[in-house]
Amino acid sequence: MTALALPAPRLMGADLLKLRRNRGLAAVTTVLTVVAVAITVAVMELLHVSNAAKHGPAGGVTNLAHLAALVAMLGAAAAAIVGSRIGAGDKDAGVYRELVVTGRSRVALYLSRIPAGFAYLLPFVAGAYALAAVSAVALAGSSPAPGVRLLALTGLWTVLEVAFFYVLSVAIAALLGSRSYAIGVVLAFRLAILPLVASISALGIVRELMPNVALEALTPSALGDAARQGPTIAMSTAAIAAVLVVWAVAAVVAAGWRDVTRDA
Amino acid sequence: MQTTSISPYVVETARLTKSFGERTVVRGVDLRVPRGSAFGYLGPNGAGKTTLIRMLLGLTPATSGEMKLLGLPVPQRRTEALARIGAIVEEPRFHGHLTGRENLRVVAAARGGDAATRIEGALEQVGLAARADDRVKTYSLGMRQRLGIARCLLADPEVLILDEPMNGLDPAGIQEFRGFVRSFVEEGRTIVLSSHLLDEVEKTCDHVAIVDHGTIVAQGSIAELRGDGHVLFVEADDPQRARTVLASSRAVERVVDDGTVLAVSLLDLAAVPDLNRRLVEAGVAVRRLEPQHASLEQRFLEITTRLENAA
Repeated sequence: MTALALPAPRLMGADLLKLRRNRGLAAVTTVLTVVAVAITVAVMELLHVSNAAKHGPAGGVTNLAHLAALVAMLGAAAAAIVGSRIGAGDKDAGVYRELVVTGRSRVALYLSRIPAGFAYLLPFVAGAYALAAVSAVALAGSSPAPGVRLLALTGLWTVLEVAFFYVLSVAIAALLGSRSYAIGVVLAFRLAILPLVASISALGIVRELMPNVALEALTPSALGDAARQGPTIAMSTAAIAAVLVVWAVAAVVAAGWRDVTRDA
Repeated sequence: MQTTSISPYVVETARLTKSFGERTVVRGVDLRVPRGSAFGYLGPNGAGKTTLIRMLLGLTPATSGEMKLLGLPVPQRRTEALARIGAIVEEPRFHGHLTGRENLRVVAAARGGDAATRIEGALEQVGLAARADDRVKTYSLGMRQRLGIARCLLADPEVLILDEPMNGLDPAGIQEFRGFVRSFVEEGRTIVLSSHLLDEVEKTCDHVAIVDHGTIVAQGSIAELRGDGHVLFVEADDPQRARTVLASSRAVERVVDDGTVLAVSLLDLAAVPDLNRRLVEAGVAVRRLEPQHASLEQRFLEITTRLENAA
């Protein structure tokens, strides 16, 4: 493999530039992450201030769990949009062939998109979670406030969930070669197909092969049921890691193979 | 501009074929593009021009046959070869939400090496420096074509491969484009220009291959393909005597007299001055001595008609 076959920092910088200069993408990503958390916290705090007897404080461990689940879910939607944009944006714009004729390896062109898009998405997700964490502590009132360890674990879990669906989105977009189809497929997969499969107990061990079940099993136990989005099936850490890695690697390899072999 | 190989041909193909299922769109093409030329790849729409270019550039694999770019076999040494080639395939496409300069930065990042240092020079060369920070979605088609050329220049290319580059351009844009092509040839670069516009190829290129139904039916310099100089028109005060003098020369194949003009078919183009001298020495007053300049269009129609008749 020559040097041109490897993704270079400059190539990743170019991919990041394509995302950064897209105002619509920045607006949607902000709304799905930081703005969604800010609105949720604001509404909870207003309810608490207006009727403290009926509505508890906007902070605390339980609300951290709710907010983390919100960031994970809407963050996955943002990941689908950003991942699809970076995964199929060059093809949609007709620019992919212009990049291929430079002689740069298609593998390098493909691989550089994954870190570039994640570098774009991460600050939004981190910002949203930081807002959730600060409000969980600052607005805890009489509720138990989360400790540093729980905040860190919850943050990692949230980012992992978003990162997983981001990688899947890049791969599916590259595989399909279409941004809009990829967004639809990833959202249907995340919001309908995976929860449906996970809820069918008759499937037995097959459910443990689903990434949402593995991610659910990673939810920090101190958050209780408030952060749960589906059934919890006990899995070993090795099994969780294996399920997530196999899904991510299989998707990335399949999409990479398609990208390299298709007509540009 | 540095050159990477000493091969006299920058593009060579042998028995190059591309099929899509049962349909063969490029059929055993043997193409040789001389270094330093403006080479036209001429044929009607659907003749397989774009498919051949896409194979050369690694955008689609060949079904069979061999290809070399700058003397390097492709796809085996595609990366090395394409590093010194600029190309516009069909219409140049860009990220509309990025500026012209940013679009060049994206491609320079893909090219690596010194490409990024050539951005400003390339923008200057195509006259887009003043609009380089505007978003490309505000550019006209002509400006996009120029930006496409600037993108090619990031490679400091030995070869520019341009697929139907004049589609959609207005007359001023076409003239400007022709100027670019000639200036690039003067810089020592080779231009491969595919087109269905015979007139444009004739005005822009010095070598041409004519392709029809996926097969090259003629290849050579424009002058050779037009048959320039093979027929000499002669008008003299005594046509009968002139005909006798001309027919006696070994360089003359035959002389046809239409009543006012003698059409002299030549075997040797270099014989024209000698024929003139013979006529003068024979006391014939020559009023006109003019080699025939057939248009490429005439020649193209002759060739394709011949093929159709043979089929």
